[in-house]
Amino acid sequence: MECHEFCEIADSYLSDELSVETNHEAISHLEKCADCRCELSARRALRTNLRDAFIGLPVNRMRPEFVSELSGRLRDAAIEVRSQSIVPSMERSQSRRYFTLAVAACLLLTLLIGSIIVRQLLSRPAQNIVKIELAKAAVGDHRDCAEEFRLAEKPIALDVAGQNYDPVYLGLAEIFAKGSVAPPDVKFIEAHSCVFAGRRFAHIVLKYHGSLVSFLVTGIPSNLASDHSPAKDPATIVCSQIEGYNVSFFQTHRHGIFVVSTLPEGDNLALARAFAPGVFDHITNRERTTALLID
Amino acid sequence: MFGAAANRGSEHGQEDHWASFDAEVMPHAPSLFRIALWLTRDRTEAEDLVQETLTEALGAFHRFITGTNCHAWLVSILYHRNSKRRRAASRLTLVSDSDERIAETAVFEAPTPQSVTDEDVLAALKRLPRSFQEVVILADIEEMSYKEIASAINVPIGTVMSRISRGRKLLRAELAGYARAHGFLRQRALSMD
Repeated sequence: MECHEFCEIADSYLSDELSVETNHEAISHLEKCADCRCELSARRALRTNLRDAFIGLPVNRMRPEFVSELSGRLRDAAIEVRSQSIVPSMERSQSRRYFTLAVAACLLLTLLIGSIIVRQLLSRPAQNIVKIELAKAAVGDHRDCAEEFRLAEKPIALDVAGQNYDPVYLGLAEIFAKGSVAPPDVKFIEAHSCVFAGRRFAHIVLKYHGSLVSFLVTGIPSNLASDHSPAKDPATIVCSQIEGYNVSFFQTHRHGIFVVSTLPEGDNLALARAFAPGVFDHITNRERTTALLID
Repeated sequence: MFGAAANRGSEHGQEDHWASFDAEVMPHAPSLFRIALWLTRDRTEAEDLVQETLTEALGAFHRFITGTNCHAWLVSILYHRNSKRRRAASRLTLVSDSDERIAETAVFEAPTPQSVTDEDVLAALKRLPRSFQEVVILADIEEMSYKEIASAINVPIGTVMSRISRGRKLLRAELAGYARAHGFLRQRALSMD
């Protein structure tokens, strides 16, 4: 560092505003330069001189009365400010608590409603997927059992299945065999219980306009359970097409009923709607009496 | 029962609040007054400004973090209050370009005279352009750092550094001229001259 460089940074050196590196260079220079040490000393002295002179100026001193008044006013203000801020702060804290509670309640309510909506939204597709899978199983059973007799497991009598597997199957065939609710051209073929893809069905086979029609009753998962069934109002039963078959569906609390055929949609629906009230009542009564509702 | 306790507590709290403020802030009042007087050039206005500053500081004292630079905090409030007062009074003060130009001409690096009187120093300070007076007072008299000054007067730190540097040079130049006239400028300085 040269002398002229040191003179440029000497004030910053005194103010301790230099970087560590520059400070080190300045110290190194001072160690070997008497002139700069002298200059630095003069500047330090000037600064002290300036400070003392300025602060010592009578005009720059506060009047003692002003100091006293100012102190008194500030002290009073301090007490006033604190007492004003303490009481409202208690009120504020209470109202803040109420506000917080209200916000928390709103949030809770929103979360609750939101979770219900989300669950419904999430469950709907899931329910639909399950129903479609069940419908596919019903279609498969109709095809492999009613049409092609190629089930891996031999069907058993419906009453046997009712006693061993599902009590709602007991007496189910009579609804179809009586023919009182059926359209005139419907012919009861048989009733049994069969298994398709690991799922047991009550299988009632009818013939209508030359086509085989399967009423397939099977237990449904609890997430599909509903007390509201289109069977209470058969007009609301709808028909879908799955794998080339028309499938109408309705359900009780714990059972799903699929009507599968190659009949036109209208005919398939007409059959489903014709038998739905009787089937629904029968299964629902059985569900109640066997306490299926409890589990 | 709880109310009485709370009242007693609040009284203690008020006393504590004042005691803390008194201990932390009030020692800086003389410095604030000097700066206020320099800013306003009027004793009554300076007193008002100091009172406003300290009242504002009192209201905001709960936000002050003990251990941080209280003086710099107070000077910032004082400058802020002063700006508000000036705006309220619709007194526009233009930053003097001529001051900056004067400083630009002060390229001569005068050696620092060693024997000057208080009157000489104060007279030299008084002759500096105000923008340079301001930073010299804040830095060399009120011992604020460049950063604190920049924050208080709301100008970039580079400007502060530049002004301080030029302000000090001007001050030394003023004093050198005076010392030369009185024949007590240092020998080295004479040779440089």
